[in-house]
Amino acid sequence: MVSLALIGAFGAVVAGVEIALFAEQDVALWWLLALFPAGGCVHLAAGLEAWRRRPSNRTGPIMVIGALSWFVVALANTVTPVLVAVGVVLATTPLAVVVWLLHAFPSGRLRSRTSRLTVVGGFVVSLVLEVPGYLFDPGASPGGMLSVGHRADLLRAGTWLQRGAGIVVMLVTAGVLIDRLLTARPSQRGVLLPLYAYGILAVLATPLGPLLGPSAGLSVAQVVGLQIVLLAGVPVAFAVAMLRGGFARTAEIQELSAWLASSAATPEPLADALGRTLGDPSLQVVYASRDGRALVDGDGAPFDTSALGEHRGLVDIQLGSRRIGAVVYDATVIDDAELVRGAGQVAALAIDHDRLTAELRASHADLQQSRARLVEAGDRARQRIAQDLHDGLQVELVLLALEAQQLARLDGAADLPDAATRLRVGIDGAAQHLRGIVHALMPAALVERGLTAAIEDLVDRMPLPTRLAVAEVDGRLPATVERTAYFVVAEGLTNAVKHAAADTLTVTLEQAPARLVIGVSDDGVGGARQEGGAGLHGLADRVDALGGRFTIESPAGGGTHLVVELPCGS
Amino acid sequence: MRIVIGEDEALLRTGLTHVMQAAGFDVVASVGDAHELVRSAGEHLPDVVVTDIRMPPDHKDAGLRAALEIRREHPGIAVVVLSQHLQRAYAVELLGDGSSGVGYLLKQRIADIDTFTDDLRRVAAGGTVLDPEVVSLMVARARGHHDALDRLTPRQQQVLALMSEGRTNAAIARTLSITERAVVQHTSHIYDELDLALSDDDHRRVLAVIRYLSS
Repeated sequence: MVSLALIGAFGAVVAGVEIALFAEQDVALWWLLALFPAGGCVHLAAGLEAWRRRPSNRTGPIMVIGALSWFVVALANTVTPVLVAVGVVLATTPLAVVVWLLHAFPSGRLRSRTSRLTVVGGFVVSLVLEVPGYLFDPGASPGGMLSVGHRADLLRAGTWLQRGAGIVVMLVTAGVLIDRLLTARPSQRGVLLPLYAYGILAVLATPLGPLLGPSAGLSVAQVVGLQIVLLAGVPVAFAVAMLRGGFARTAEIQELSAWLASSAATPEPLADALGRTLGDPSLQVVYASRDGRALVDGDGAPFDTSALGEHRGLVDIQLGSRRIGAVVYDATVIDDAELVRGAGQVAALAIDHDRLTAELRASHADLQQSRARLVEAGDRARQRIAQDLHDGLQVELVLLALEAQQLARLDGAADLPDAATRLRVGIDGAAQHLRGIVHALMPAALVERGLTAAIEDLVDRMPLPTRLAVAEVDGRLPATVERTAYFVVAEGLTNAVKHAAADTLTVTLEQAPARLVIGVSDDGVGGARQEGGAGLHGLADRVDALGGRFTIESPAGGGTHLVVELPCGS
Repeated sequence: MRIVIGEDEALLRTGLTHVMQAAGFDVVASVGDAHELVRSAGEHLPDVVVTDIRMPPDHKDAGLRAALEIRREHPGIAVVVLSQHLQRAYAVELLGDGSSGVGYLLKQRIADIDTFTDDLRRVAAGGTVLDPEVVSLMVARARGHHDALDRLTPRQQQVLALMSEGRTNAAIARTLSITERAVVQHTSHIYDELDLALSDDDHRRVLAVIRYLSS
């Protein structure tokens, strides 16, 4: 932005100096001379405005180059020989720049080989074929400094060659533009047709003006003035058409599309590409969470839309009917939300791709963690069994073995029956202990009768009043589903008894199409968290491994409500 | 007394056979498969069938289903089912048809040989035997459903549990070291409190109590 201001200031100074010089020359038509730097200023203003508003569009820079050529051409009217010579050499470059503009509109880039050749041709006509004009005419440059002598024949031939080549350039240009008009949308055609016609007319006015002017009763000064005004109006017309004519989007989006097509090879962040396209380096792309309600940034952190400053605009990006994300931009740089939306829609697939990639990365990380936790849970369970066997059963068996050995030492046979019975009761106790361990690992009812029976049995043994509601669960479910559902209920009930300080517990089982819904609720103190206990976390992983959903609601004082959905193919 | 044994663990099957033979029972067959058990019971028509619940072919509850099938086809044959883990639902199913001569015990009870053989005799005679563990399970659960149970004194609750196990008044008196008269008083009070029809038949008494506890 600063550099644009500098260019503008530089142009204004040059124009001011030139106009001051012309005024000082004290010629009658000094205002006519002043029209050249004035036309340059118009170019400069239009070009800088276009550049500022659409930094990625090259139309603005082309116009600035045009302005430069006008300032240089204006030098031909000064009295300093060297400057005059420079002005003479570059006399027709403004026309070449208009041809360039015509071909480059609206993106500022030359899209076809024909266009590129034609524009180069235009500069050849204006720079190279201009040479005979001052080379063989000593009167064309101050003191004939550029001339090798007067050669009227060569001069005439050169002039005709330049005109012929110029006509070829303009015919090809007309052909290219007609072709574009034919392929343009009807709405664009309404803008393009007058714009192209005006551009061509402005160019042709230079060679045709001196030929047609006198017959129309115009003085030379009037003809020149008309030519200058026509040419100076060109950048204004193009700038207005570019900014307001509805081409901006297509032009910039063509560019964006090109980036998207090549984005596989250049992993440039999407936001940077969009920002560059729309001319807003501060532009951000945020992504919709899986349910589409919340927004997250590229790192997955929540994005708070209410914290946006007042000059930040936000446009939702949809794919089909689904919100996949949003573009946040600087509303002072881009005043047209539709422009952002259009660009966002073009990039929608890429945005969704980025979003899915982010989601995939997150779920991959989740998966790794949950796998690790499953392994840990398995290890913990093994460790607990080992501990139970070691601390409980093993000790009991050692004591029973001691007791059995004491039987051998009994002297009186009278004590034997009692001692033997004590031993038997001890063994019963150890057996019961073992049954408890086995049951915790794999409940008999679950193996023998399935889920409902096993949960009924579980509920029967609850120390708190427990209500069981079973709906539509009939027949056996897949073993993994039954076991997971059972352990969900068992762990949920155990936690409720241990931590919830509840009065009553409720278990619900419901078979919906293709899924089993399990609920465990209590009327206790609440405040349970999934992350809180290894038990709940382990369960969540188990449920996740089966592709189910695990939700826990536990507001303080509002009881704990565990709901698990497991897919089961029925 | 003629007995058919169903048990898939060969060691335990042999052990059971020895225990029963030592107690003077006539073990006419011992099999390790539920289908074979049904066939064998039909063939030998024993007084009692003793079977494990978890049995081949499915290693689930085939033993229980075989016992129920035998009861349906031969109401005269008493059945005692054994299990590592007791469930209220199984007790209800076994007593469901209202017929007499049913037992449901923890497997480990066989180690207390005297009590076990006594239980077998009672079942063979048309009595009912329920494991104390399954009874306590039923009583604990029923407590949440019936306020009347909480109005019973601790002693009356003990009597109720022993009744549910299928004990006779004499056995209850012995267990609690009280007189049979006192047991009768307790039972009549329990009947009043739970609003049950009075019955002298031990088996009907068990059915009524179990039905009450399961309702």
